[in-house]
Amino acid sequence: MAQTSQGKPRRVLGGLAFLFILLGLYFALIEAPPDAYQGEVQRIMYLHIPSILTAYLSFLIVFIGSCLFLWKRERRDDILAHSAAEIGVLFTGLTIIEGSIWGKPTWGVWWTWDARLTLTAILFLIFVGYLMLRSLVEDEDRAAICSAVLGIVGFIDIPLIHMSVYWWRTLHQPPSILRPDKLPWENIHPSMLIALSINFVAFVLLYFYLLSLRFRLGEMEEEAKRLKLYGGSAKLTAMSMSNGGA
Amino acid sequence: MEIVRQIAWLLWKDLLLETRRRESLLAMFFFGTLLLFVFHFAIEIPPDRAAEMAPGLLSLAFVFTGTLGLTQLFQAERENHCLEALLLCPMDRGALYLAKLLFNFLLMLLIESVVFPLFWILFNLSSWGRLPHLLGVTLLGTIGFCALGTLFSAATLRARARELLLPLVLLPLMIPVLLATIRGMEIVLRGGESYELLPWLRLLIGFDVIFTTVGFLIFEWVVEA
Amino acid sequence: MRVVVCELSKAYGFLWALRDLSLEFRPGECVALLGPNGAGKTTFLKLLAALLYPTTGEIELDGEKLRQGSSHLRSSIGFLSPNQHLYENLTAEENLRFFNSLYGKGKNSAEMKRALDAVGLGRWTDDAVGALSSGMKCRLAIAKWLVVEPKLLLLDEPYGVLDGSGVDLLETYLKKLCHSGGIAVMATHHVSRALALCSRALILHQGRLIFDEPRQEPWENLQRAFGEFLPRGERWRS
Repeated sequence: MAQTSQGKPRRVLGGLAFLFILLGLYFALIEAPPDAYQGEVQRIMYLHIPSILTAYLSFLIVFIGSCLFLWKRERRDDILAHSAAEIGVLFTGLTIIEGSIWGKPTWGVWWTWDARLTLTAILFLIFVGYLMLRSLVEDEDRAAICSAVLGIVGFIDIPLIHMSVYWWRTLHQPPSILRPDKLPWENIHPSMLIALSINFVAFVLLYFYLLSLRFRLGEMEEEAKRLKLYGGSAKLTAMSMSNGGA
Repeated sequence: MEIVRQIAWLLWKDLLLETRRRESLLAMFFFGTLLLFVFHFAIEIPPDRAAEMAPGLLSLAFVFTGTLGLTQLFQAERENHCLEALLLCPMDRGALYLAKLLFNFLLMLLIESVVFPLFWILFNLSSWGRLPHLLGVTLLGTIGFCALGTLFSAATLRARARELLLPLVLLPLMIPVLLATIRGMEIVLRGGESYELLPWLRLLIGFDVIFTTVGFLIFEWVVEA
Repeated sequence: MRVVVCELSKAYGFLWALRDLSLEFRPGECVALLGPNGAGKTTFLKLLAALLYPTTGEIELDGEKLRQGSSHLRSSIGFLSPNQHLYENLTAEENLRFFNSLYGKGKNSAEMKRALDAVGLGRWTDDAVGALSSGMKCRLAIAKWLVVEPKLLLLDEPYGVLDGSGVDLLETYLKKLCHSGGIAVMATHHVSRALALCSRALILHQGRLIFDEPRQEPWENLQRAFGEFLPRGERWRS
């Protein structure tokens, strides 16, 4: 049956993700030394930075899914974009919370309008807008098209949002080259870098595992719909939505 | 060119309807003015800080007023299924996009050219000489606003809770325009140097060009009767 | 103008509105599209007008596939639906001028005035459409297509609002259209009038084509096929 053959790579992915998470936790909490200035609280970085990167990766996948969908009108691309947005909003939300938790002991406040936090919040809002657009547009096909448009427009907008927010946060003078806030790459202890890399891999694996689960759910919903439409045993093959595309 | 002619006719139709129905322009204008009053009640703008706060408050007023205008943008087409009538025509749907964009842009420009001086009067500002430059910066921001706004106004035409959904989707995407317009206006008002202003202007122009093009190309798929 | 419909299907969510429609329209045909409510007549007309896109199957106009980008094909397609597709706050003449320009037909004011006179709206040229009655709006819609001159005209329940002379006007126009090689497809519940005018009858039921025959005298097959959709107690006779 189809499920078993598709399930195996997913289970392997899940297993790997679990392993790397454990490994990452070990390196982050035990192997890596505490930060010279921030102390133990700095360890949140091992969650926070991979989180942000995964959130952006998520939006990239929304963009790719949206482009493919508008081009080919294959349902599975739409399901991919939708799934990526749902998991993406989760990771982005987590990033904001982690950033907030990091901020309290470090800066003394739960929230600050620094560039990175603000950008993450904006990304979160765009994801939310995407999901709300999907759920509030009446016709399913139209919802798919409109959210694909938002996915593409949002992705193109992100560099512009970055530029404007970073320039806004650097007092009055926008730099000639885009440079993010100093990430703690400089003077970083090698074992910190290892811990960071392992956790990054762990997050990416976890993300793709969750994405594959959500995607499978979407596929099954689509299959149920096709069964209702066509009756009998309809296979989930070329699910072209409409032949009106390019 | 065919498409220019079509845009001209579509714009003619919208302008004619606006002068007869007077739906959008007056309502938007009064709403924008009302917002300035509400801001003052909420924030109690001190006279010496009015110039400093002007860019932010004015931009906010225009964003909210503009969003109101956007929800009305396709109103004429909702009666009698006229949107269907337009979609039946042998016309590049991008022409409809540009025509609606231009129409909304003209409305907002008209409103801005009245509300700006009004703000100056209400809050006793003296820097009248700066107004044309301010309008110039706002003009660029307004184009960007209309570019994305027209696209999503059409996308959400038959969505539930449309008046809420449109700003929810649009505003995060508008942040570059908002920031650039406000910072640009600030720089103009305090007589800053052009090297400070230029990057913001370039950002605005880039935004306008990119999203007008994207909107023009993508509108075909977004608009549906 | 030749129209070829190949295995056309349209689904809305979980429901099929049209299922596997395959047929051809030849030049000069005047087709009556019959069927009970919800049969899919309006959906079919909208698909032919490229207002909707099929779930599966395709439509060809003069050998060219009707798809999202084929805007030039739309210049030959007309869609007449009473009380629709006219701007209420523009005058009759302004509506005509607007659509004349969008369709790129280049008719001048005199020709448009002639079209308005032909449909009996000569005295209401400068009246806003909102002030016209339903029947007059329908006449204006006819005037619009007189100006645009489509080769394929799709009509959705045109008889409901027209008075006697309006009906004559419409039928004269349709006869002229078909005589010059155009095609008219009319969805209607006014069976006897449609059948007196049309050269072919189609019956749709639950999205499927269950009857397709050219006009003949007597038309017993049609009586049999359509009989079950008539109101109780009513009998239709050819």
